[in-house]
Amino acid sequence: MDQKQSTLRLPAEKLYAHELEALRASDKGERPEGWQLSPRAVLTFIIGGEAGGTAITPKYIGNRRIVEIAIATLLTDRALLLIGEPGTAKSWLSENLTAAIHGDSSKVIQGTAGTSEEQIRYSWNYAMLLANGPSNEAIVKSPIYRAMETGGIARFEEISRCASEVQDALISILSEKTITVPELGSEVPANRGFSIIATANTRDRGVNDMSAALKRRFNIVVLPAPADLDTEIDIVRKRVSEIAANYRLGEALPTEAAVHKVVTIFRELRAGMTLDGKEKIKQPSGAISTAEAISLLVNSMALASSFGGGSVSDEDLAAGLLGAVVKDDGKDDAVWKEYLENVMKKRGSEWRGLYNACRELSS
Amino acid sequence: MSAMKAAVKETAGVHLFGIRHLSPAGAIHLRHFLNEIKPELVLVEGPADATPLIGHITRSGVTPPVAILAYTDQLPIRTLVFPLASYSPEYEAFRWAASNGAEARFIDLPSNIAISMHLGKREAVEEGIKQEAQQHWSNVNERYEKVAELAGEPDYDSYWERYFEHSSASDTYRSAIAAFSEQMRLLNEEEERSSTPLEAASNDIREAYMRSRIAEAIAGGVPADRIVVIAGAYHVSALTTAIAPMSDEEAAALPRRDTKLTLMPYSNYKLSNHSGYGAGNHAPAYFDLAWQCLQADDPGKLAPLYLSKIAGYMRESGTYRSAASVIEGVRLAEALTSLRGGRLPVWRDLRDAAIVCLGHGELSVVSEALVKTDIGTSIGALPEGVSQTPIQDDLNRNLKLLKLDKYKSAVAADLELDLRENRRVKSEEAAFIDLRRSFFLQRLELLGISFVRKKTIRQDGATWAEHWVLQWSPEAEIQIVEATLKGETVELAAAFAIKEALEQSPDLRTAAKLVKQAWECGLPSSMEDARRMLQQLAVDAGAIEQVAGALRELSALIQFGDVRKADTSVLIPLLKQLFLRGTLLLVDSAACNDEAAAAIAAAMIDMHAISQQHYDDVDDERWLKQLELLAYRDDRNAKLSGLAFALLLERNLIKADRLAAEVSRRLSPGTDADTGAGWFEGMSLRNRYVLLSRRQLWEQLDLYIHSLDETQFRRSLVYLRRAFSGFEARDRSMVAELLGELWDVGALEGGDALSQPLSEEEQQTLTELDEFDFGDI
Repeated sequence: MDQKQSTLRLPAEKLYAHELEALRASDKGERPEGWQLSPRAVLTFIIGGEAGGTAITPKYIGNRRIVEIAIATLLTDRALLLIGEPGTAKSWLSENLTAAIHGDSSKVIQGTAGTSEEQIRYSWNYAMLLANGPSNEAIVKSPIYRAMETGGIARFEEISRCASEVQDALISILSEKTITVPELGSEVPANRGFSIIATANTRDRGVNDMSAALKRRFNIVVLPAPADLDTEIDIVRKRVSEIAANYRLGEALPTEAAVHKVVTIFRELRAGMTLDGKEKIKQPSGAISTAEAISLLVNSMALASSFGGGSVSDEDLAAGLLGAVVKDDGKDDAVWKEYLENVMKKRGSEWRGLYNACRELSS
Repeated sequence: MSAMKAAVKETAGVHLFGIRHLSPAGAIHLRHFLNEIKPELVLVEGPADATPLIGHITRSGVTPPVAILAYTDQLPIRTLVFPLASYSPEYEAFRWAASNGAEARFIDLPSNIAISMHLGKREAVEEGIKQEAQQHWSNVNERYEKVAELAGEPDYDSYWERYFEHSSASDTYRSAIAAFSEQMRLLNEEEERSSTPLEAASNDIREAYMRSRIAEAIAGGVPADRIVVIAGAYHVSALTTAIAPMSDEEAAALPRRDTKLTLMPYSNYKLSNHSGYGAGNHAPAYFDLAWQCLQADDPGKLAPLYLSKIAGYMRESGTYRSAASVIEGVRLAEALTSLRGGRLPVWRDLRDAAIVCLGHGELSVVSEALVKTDIGTSIGALPEGVSQTPIQDDLNRNLKLLKLDKYKSAVAADLELDLRENRRVKSEEAAFIDLRRSFFLQRLELLGISFVRKKTIRQDGATWAEHWVLQWSPEAEIQIVEATLKGETVELAAAFAIKEALEQSPDLRTAAKLVKQAWECGLPSSMEDARRMLQQLAVDAGAIEQVAGALRELSALIQFGDVRKADTSVLIPLLKQLFLRGTLLLVDSAACNDEAAAAIAAAMIDMHAISQQHYDDVDDERWLKQLELLAYRDDRNAKLSGLAFALLLERNLIKADRLAAEVSRRLSPGTDADTGAGWFEGMSLRNRYVLLSRRQLWEQLDLYIHSLDETQFRRSLVYLRRAFSGFEARDRSMVAELLGELWDVGALEGGDALSQPLSEEEQQTLTELDEFDFGDI
């Protein structure tokens, strides 16, 4: 318990250990080989529910079908690629799926421009290599290597940030399901249950586009922005209160109206359309994700508590909004101004305060 | 199980088979049931007066989907449509009867009563949907969704497909659907009676009528156990002998409207649009595939067939997808099914698998192939000799009503219309007959029916006169029949045509034109749709010429809207918005070369005119601000900056000292000669009197020219000559007089001297100048 309280962030399988335990105890479904839980129990773990009297908190709100497709993909021993805009809970979903299916979400490769093929396959402990020559002991196994040995799931974050030739090292792993170690003349076959969950960012598209051969070995699931206003408000409120508790921001949480306004603005700008669908609006160049709405509200709370009157005011929100929307100066600025004049201004008295605050800041 | 058996009611030994309309499994199980019972008489829920059409429906040459169409033969036209797809259980019943020598009859209320009751219900609804009724409908929906939820399905359609369409045993299917419907009815019925009494009453009447038809059939001598009754599963529990059938007196007392019946070809697209009509709505082509697989007794083939069809369409349009991807898709769909403990994938599973495996996660990649596979473009066909379509009737009635029937001849005839009110006649109808004719003809023209042709005539700003040429031909007749698919009347078809055009994502100008067409056709709601599209496009409009073009159309509509008795004031907010958009685009668009500048200059002049015509509506202040910004910017096209300056000058918004300062800045020796002269050229595009009346301008120009050295002078001469070439002789002489005054040689003398024809030597120099290569021009 002590570790739990002082560690800044626990992996999902530790954080939700009691939920996983309860699910395992009450799980009656058939468990595919190498799985800790039956597919249905995994689904319950992600979307929430109840298991033998223990409440299971929802980890991914709003789109049950996406989760089903992800689980079904892993059932067919295909690798899963989650892609989406920044802030659509890709890594969060990947971590929780791995925790539920495999019980260990720590086998992670973080894709960067510097990721090399050794990090995907294996490398050597050079001291031992030089002393004793190639041997099993001298191999430094990559997370994927380890997952293949144990029949578990390895995670590959931000795969599209790696160079293409490095990505392509995955092709043989995914189609042959083995890693060959020519130095030892041996082959490591994957145990049943082995799979990879990769994530990629749509904003990175074109940086290191995945080859068609590699793409074909993944089932690609696009994580959408939340489907409707209420879902998004739920997500934002849940996360804001969680984060506020973590950081011990003593302020009153933003009012329902404030959350509603922020989410409305975000949704409208993201969709390029007013919520009632009657008016089209221009979209800003940057991503306007739910995660961004969450951090905006948290920032506003911090602003209000440190410098403001204590509760989140329209001015605090306006500062955050301007920063979130206007990322690329010239264009976004025009978008934001047009939105203020064409949409927000006509919204009536409840919006008047926010409108005035925004207008003051952006003119 | 016992509840399920009990749910299959017997009516004096008659066999009941409950169905869901448009259900392949229902059709196949019905076929098995009929093969087993071998009835003499098949009774089907559907308008009783359409029984004579059953023979037509099963004729060879009929390709489903087709529909039985009932329409009132009096205005206003009301229609009832009874569509049949290849996999409709009703259609299967007719086919079975035809090939097994059994008789088939419809037993529901005849169309004349049905339409009249339907209208009664609708009027009651139009009086204001009661909160209670709406609550009831959403409760019913919720209950169905609740059933799906309890079964762990995402929606009711998936529930239905997994639990009923995939049922393979005919007996189980028949009793399960009867039990399910009876239970659902029990849940809903009481609330239905209190919340939507009319709906409940109409069901009671229909069921009582159906009972009386069944009783009549038995009385007619067919043994009861040789009769099979096929009705919506909802009604099955009410078709028992326990409730009295309708008596003849009761039937005679029902309200009636005269109707006609006809068969019409139907389309999959319309099937998929048809609301509230059983399973298989959203994907008629998919259910057609399912029907083919069921007929071949190979339901497991559907998943690979469906996904390879999608892959096939994708390959056709150039996106290659391998067979391996199709295999992965089938596996994923099966895994999705296994998550729910299902046997076969449902449409939702297959669709999601297609998106993941064939679309690489993106709907947009597969959406076109999905639409082709789910809905398809197929339309039904009827052999020759089947009755007239409603739109033909509508056309004939309109011709008569508008006294145009004599024009329905093979000889071309002219028709001149004056849309204004005719004050010499008494009735309002007669006063505006030409306007109504115009609406009608415009609609036909919009539909591309060659019966009418509009001649363009010149009018000065007015829009009240029209000149038409009318000529009938067989081709025109065919075009009208084709228009049936767009709508049942000319008016509906025209509205649909506009809707179609709008869906093809037009550009700004086309959208503005559609607004105008809808206005010409007298279709206010289409006009509203077009307006909305225009608004949407306005947001993204990036070309000021397009914006100005649309503004021109809108401005004319707002000014002349009432000629056609239409309220065009709704366009004003759009005008405002577009104008704002154009205003904001101005400064950026002005960064262009001289070639593009001509079009933008025209757009600026148009927008400037609108800013004054609609002074109260548009944001003139902002427009002037942007003009001012452009006028003083040095990094934009000099010609356009000059024009902006001229426009401001014209509005008297530039003070004398500012004018002097700007002219001297623009024409200072520091600025290169072509920019300076180009700016002056832009200035002169506008009203020249404004320039001529400003003395400082010429003083500055004079000083400028004096300050130039020989080479610079030669350069600027090229531009200045071009600028002045647009001036008329009269203007030029005024310039000359002005300069004469400036040089203190007297206006007349100066003018005379400058107006002298050029000497040969001077001419020579100029020609050389024209040919001279400055190196960088």
